[in-house]
Amino acid sequence: MGKPTGFKEFPRKPVPYRDPLVRLQDFGEIFTQPPEEHLQRQGARCMDCGVPFCQSDSGCPIDNLIPEWNDLVYHGRWREALDRLHKTNNFPEFTGRTCPAPCEGACVLGITDPAVTIKNIENAIIDRGFAEGWVAPQPPPSRTGKRVAVIGSGPSGLAAAAQLNKVGHAVTVYERADRIGGLLMYGIPNMKLDKGVVERRVNLLRAEGIKFVTKADVGNKESPHFVDPKQLLAENDAILLATGATRPNDLPIPGRGLAGIHFAMEFLTANTKSLLDSRHADGRYISAKDKDVIVIGGGDTGTDCIGTSMRHGCKSLVNFELLPKPPKDRAPDNPWPTWPRIYRTDYGHQEVAAKFGDDPRTYCVMSKEFVGDEQGQVAGIRTVQVEWNKVDGQWKLKELAGTDKFWPAQLVLLAMGFKGPEQYVSELLGIETDPRSNYKAVHGRFATNHPQVFAAGDCRRGQSLVVWAINEGRGAARAIDLALMGSSDLPSPGLTLGVAAIG
Amino acid sequence: MLPHPILTNEELAAIKHLNHRGWKSKVIDITWAKSEGTAGLVTALDRICQEAEQAIADGFQLVVLSDEALSAERVPISSLLAVGAVHHHLIRQAKRTQIGLILESGEALEVHHHCLLVGYGADAINPYLAFEALWQAQRDGLLPADYSDDKIVHGYQKAVAKGMLKVMSKMGISTLQSYKGAQIFEAVGMASEVIDKCFVGTASRIQGVGFEILAREALRRHEIGFPARAEQRLPVLPNFGEFHWRADGEKHMWDPQAIADLQVAARENSADAYHRFAKHSNEEATRKCALRGLLTFKTGINKPVPLAEVEPAKEIVKRFCTGAMSFGSISAEAHETLAIAMNRVGGKSNTGEGGEDPERFKPLPNGDSKRSAIKQVASGRFGVTINYLTNADELQIKMAQGAKPGEGGELPGHKVDDYIARIRYSTPGVGLISPPPHHDIYSIEDLKQLIHDLKNSNPKARVSVKLVSEVGVGTIATGVAKAYADHILISGDTGGTGASPITSIKHAGLPWELGIAETHQTLVMNDMRSRVTLQTDGQIKTGRDVVIAALLGAEEIGFSTGPLVSLGCIMMRKCHLNTCPVGIATQDPVLRQKFRGEPEHLINYLFLIAEEARQIMSELGFRTFNEMIGRADCLETNAAIKHWKAEGIDLAPLLAPAKKPHPDVEVYKTREQDHGLADAIDNELIAACQKAIKRREPVVLERKIVNINRTVGTTLSHEIAKRWGDELLPDDTIRIKFTGSAGQSLGAFLAKGVTIELEGDANDYVGKGLSGGRVVIYPPAGSLFKAEDNILLGNVALYGATSGYAYFRGRAAERFAVRNSGAHAVVEGVGDHGCEYMTGGIVVVLGPTGRNFAAGMSGGIAYVWDPAGDFISRCNLGIVELERVEAPQDVADLLNLIEQHRQFTESTVAEKLLAQWPEVTAQFVKVMPTDYKRVLAERAKHDEEVEAGVHGVPTNG
Repeated sequence: MGKPTGFKEFPRKPVPYRDPLVRLQDFGEIFTQPPEEHLQRQGARCMDCGVPFCQSDSGCPIDNLIPEWNDLVYHGRWREALDRLHKTNNFPEFTGRTCPAPCEGACVLGITDPAVTIKNIENAIIDRGFAEGWVAPQPPPSRTGKRVAVIGSGPSGLAAAAQLNKVGHAVTVYERADRIGGLLMYGIPNMKLDKGVVERRVNLLRAEGIKFVTKADVGNKESPHFVDPKQLLAENDAILLATGATRPNDLPIPGRGLAGIHFAMEFLTANTKSLLDSRHADGRYISAKDKDVIVIGGGDTGTDCIGTSMRHGCKSLVNFELLPKPPKDRAPDNPWPTWPRIYRTDYGHQEVAAKFGDDPRTYCVMSKEFVGDEQGQVAGIRTVQVEWNKVDGQWKLKELAGTDKFWPAQLVLLAMGFKGPEQYVSELLGIETDPRSNYKAVHGRFATNHPQVFAAGDCRRGQSLVVWAINEGRGAARAIDLALMGSSDLPSPGLTLGVAAIG
Repeated sequence: MLPHPILTNEELAAIKHLNHRGWKSKVIDITWAKSEGTAGLVTALDRICQEAEQAIADGFQLVVLSDEALSAERVPISSLLAVGAVHHHLIRQAKRTQIGLILESGEALEVHHHCLLVGYGADAINPYLAFEALWQAQRDGLLPADYSDDKIVHGYQKAVAKGMLKVMSKMGISTLQSYKGAQIFEAVGMASEVIDKCFVGTASRIQGVGFEILAREALRRHEIGFPARAEQRLPVLPNFGEFHWRADGEKHMWDPQAIADLQVAARENSADAYHRFAKHSNEEATRKCALRGLLTFKTGINKPVPLAEVEPAKEIVKRFCTGAMSFGSISAEAHETLAIAMNRVGGKSNTGEGGEDPERFKPLPNGDSKRSAIKQVASGRFGVTINYLTNADELQIKMAQGAKPGEGGELPGHKVDDYIARIRYSTPGVGLISPPPHHDIYSIEDLKQLIHDLKNSNPKARVSVKLVSEVGVGTIATGVAKAYADHILISGDTGGTGASPITSIKHAGLPWELGIAETHQTLVMNDMRSRVTLQTDGQIKTGRDVVIAALLGAEEIGFSTGPLVSLGCIMMRKCHLNTCPVGIATQDPVLRQKFRGEPEHLINYLFLIAEEARQIMSELGFRTFNEMIGRADCLETNAAIKHWKAEGIDLAPLLAPAKKPHPDVEVYKTREQDHGLADAIDNELIAACQKAIKRREPVVLERKIVNINRTVGTTLSHEIAKRWGDELLPDDTIRIKFTGSAGQSLGAFLAKGVTIELEGDANDYVGKGLSGGRVVIYPPAGSLFKAEDNILLGNVALYGATSGYAYFRGRAAERFAVRNSGAHAVVEGVGDHGCEYMTGGIVVVLGPTGRNFAAGMSGGIAYVWDPAGDFISRCNLGIVELERVEAPQDVADLLNLIEQHRQFTESTVAEKLLAQWPEVTAQFVKVMPTDYKRVLAERAKHDEEVEAGVHGVPTNG
């Protein structure tokens, strides 16, 4: 604990984002570089709890040693903080930027005061590490001779690859896109996670000995880049499926076939690819410029669609949410340390408010019909207001009569979450899936019904956070190491050396 | 000669290469080859013992057991096993005294490790890895840059030596010589094959791990340091979560899930959340942390009964008590919330040892009461007045605390604010240390007397004695029952850890399961069980825990941590820093405002526990709680638990049915103790003083007294307190003159308004806990001896006095005015340990003192007449300083007390001194506690500044 009374002396001060109107001019990261004293003071607010809920089940899924590195930052011991951070987290620069920070939701200080700015501190530690040149490739001292193929290069696949490589297995990562990173590369826009940051880590992993193969669409016979998973099975001792949950939820209401209605990922992927390929000069993206944009869905992806549309220069922006507006403070059924379901303002909302005056979000709105113009292009959405009531402990939705409304829109983006993984790999390999169409494997074991095949990340657990993907990647790496070698001391969340069961 | 048992590397090197006047040392390797596997451990121990014996034959005077040979191929033997094996082998061969046993080990780090090593026979220890780690820490910048390696080693040596001294003092051992090989330990979970070889004579009641498991553990640790797969070497040292919980570390009973679920259950009265909490607690946390986790209920002995026929929850919760947490250690808000909740359900809350504000004795307008039903009487006697004792349903004598046996409470100065100081009769800002023992208890007879005193101070209250779980506690409890305790608490090792020293948290105390089982069995065997109520405590948190405690013999249950968690405690483990962020273990006004606990939360929790207990009772076929007390036959070892380290445990001693000496022996409290109050002289005094008690009218009495009249004036004082509260009576309302020889505890807890004058002499404990009354004793008129040269009264007079006056014409024996916190006394000489641990009041000694005067005295003033000028040699100058009596206030106070003394006792010493006044003041020494002086000076300065307006307009309070 840096300072026993720090939490009494210093108020919470998150590292500010760049000014909204300025950052809207570019796709550069929204973050600013805080001065060191700022972070030390915020680190001093950590109370070094006897029971640190920040790393409990409600907190950090990868058991980040938060009190320890908060203290080290307070004392200016950045190098050790970095080592502690890397002990549990392969990619702090990803979580430090994109994580919604369940750790802060579970922070004990949060019972009575605003939580410690854990995420800011995490990000500052890793940025400092890169700036100082402390993050260098660390190839394993020897090789086991075992080969592992990882399918999918999102955070889960990369984490597993990093861990497996660390203990000497030869790892090859297959990615169907043209760039490595999965959701990190094309799902999250550049202003939230600079693609240089992703490539920097991928280059490190490459230098440590991991092989990356892009444009390798494992299992997809339709694709010109088809790779046969059975071939991979023959060439490797184990395969890890880390393909993500990429099948989007749709909104099958009248007018869905109109032009100008896109899934969020189509919109975001094209935008980032065009940005990286040509700084948008090739025009190969869906532009929101001068359009009335409606984003349907109130999650992080929705926010990313808002931020991207704003940067294109949309004319107006509205964000539909079917659920009611969350309360300002925790509801009684949402006690600490569970994830606080409260009203938050993310970067995209800030930007809309700064430019157009109002927050873009509107709640309890149900879309009934997409209305098109003569060209078959979407022109707007007809909606109705709904009301939520608890009946026998279950929330029930009720449409309110007389609340029909028409919202003009020339671009509609659907950001309503994902179902599960695409099924072609599992079909070819005969992998069982669960009722939600995810690959069937138990968390902790990560083994599918095929003895050589493991699954981790969103393709196993359903859509989730980057940090959960890392949790699964690390856990799966241990499971694979155990299967290949008969024993494993690879750390994985919830298990540490010497404490893990033996025999 | 070594100053203490921790050797530096240089000292060890010198010993290893010793060749001086025929003294030589032999190094013996205490590692074994990894290739031999687990079997190698015992072989190696045998080899080490043989080599040590051979060293004696070869003429060596010292052996150095060394694990220096540790490598990827060689595994170090636990240094304690090696030391114990050699020590006991040589004892068996009657050769131990022929050789010195030195240990060179990387394993010994903490105070507890060193205590164990010395306790099992090591003469000196070189903990080289501890030095290396500290040096590395200094290189890494964790210690100041200007610390030299030598300074670090010396600092470590000093810290370990002090820590060991503290541990020794807890066990009542003064010299290292006596501690060495004394084996003041009990083993839990150790097989007899290990005890027989290495720890002969140590109690290990439930068996446990043998050499095979110990070897496996050693190999496991070795594997971390020297992994078979090179790529698995550790990049960063792990934190195993020993003290603070870590997600991937050691199991803790209060982990995030338990805390979060319990708080929801308590706040929302949610049976679902409680069910999650209890399931996790019973099947996860407790199973991995406590003996009862290895037990399961044996159904089928009785026929199950319908739940509706089981005693209702509102009856069961009356058996629940909250633990002794003082106001001071926890905030007023938390303390009062506990009291209100327990009073509402008919259970009992406990003051702890910090006294209680008399305001809390008055019921609130809504019918609630903040009065703690249990008033604790601990060694510090903070705030133990007659009014405090009168406002109790139970008076609990704390002999020891389960989690830190042998230690008293410690309240750091920054937690002692004005209010706490007032309640404790101490000085704000001055830290409070409870003495380890009760100074009025040195034997079971003394304890019996204290029980009697307390019973007299409040005949309606039951007197409880708090003991700790340890081997032999059953015998102690039987003695306590014979000493007329009404109630006995057996406290386990897992409670009370808020501000305990880390050594105690981890290594002191024993599970209550062992203690309550032994106590119940022994009491039944002696047919004493029916006279006492048994209670147990220590991390009891679910209905299952409650039922197990009852089946092992408890009829009441104590809880502390659970209730605090229900009120918002999140186990910060910062209780000693005053920074508790939820307003519980803090006195910081800002933090106290963050307290969110409500009595309802605790009440909900208690009822949820009781309902869970009822469920189990119905399955086991018990309709009432009393039916299941001592029914250990309804428990058995859970065969389903197959942990590799739990296999050797044998819980049979725990589950042995209590043997009844005859069939009519009753197994729970059914009859009251006979305290002999009917014969007390006070009955007559009370009758004679009715107009004083009822109408505050003066009463003057004269009576004879003989030494069978014990504890005289105490029940009279109780009657006054009952009627008038803290205000009691105006001085001298009741004046009783006795002639004769008084028994023990004359004027104990004597109330303000009562004067006892005794012409004669008195036994021990005169004016113990004096509460504003006045005690005057002088020798019989016509005595031929010189009063000032003779002992007039026994030991421990004025122990724990809080106010009042005492004038003794003659000398007192030992321990005079120990823990005095407000009484003014004049005496003509005292024995050893006068004014020890005093925190207030004035003591004037007009004669010689014994040794160790003013030890641990942190408040109050003593004036000693020292014409020979040699008092300084008998005063313990640890935390006091000696001054001249010069300040006008001091001179006036002293003169006043001496004049009173002459007036009340006709003392010739006083007469003579007054005749030489004021010149004689030069012969007086003022004993002034350093801290007290500092705080008084600060306060005087502050007061002046307030008058001068430096702090602006003073606000209320």
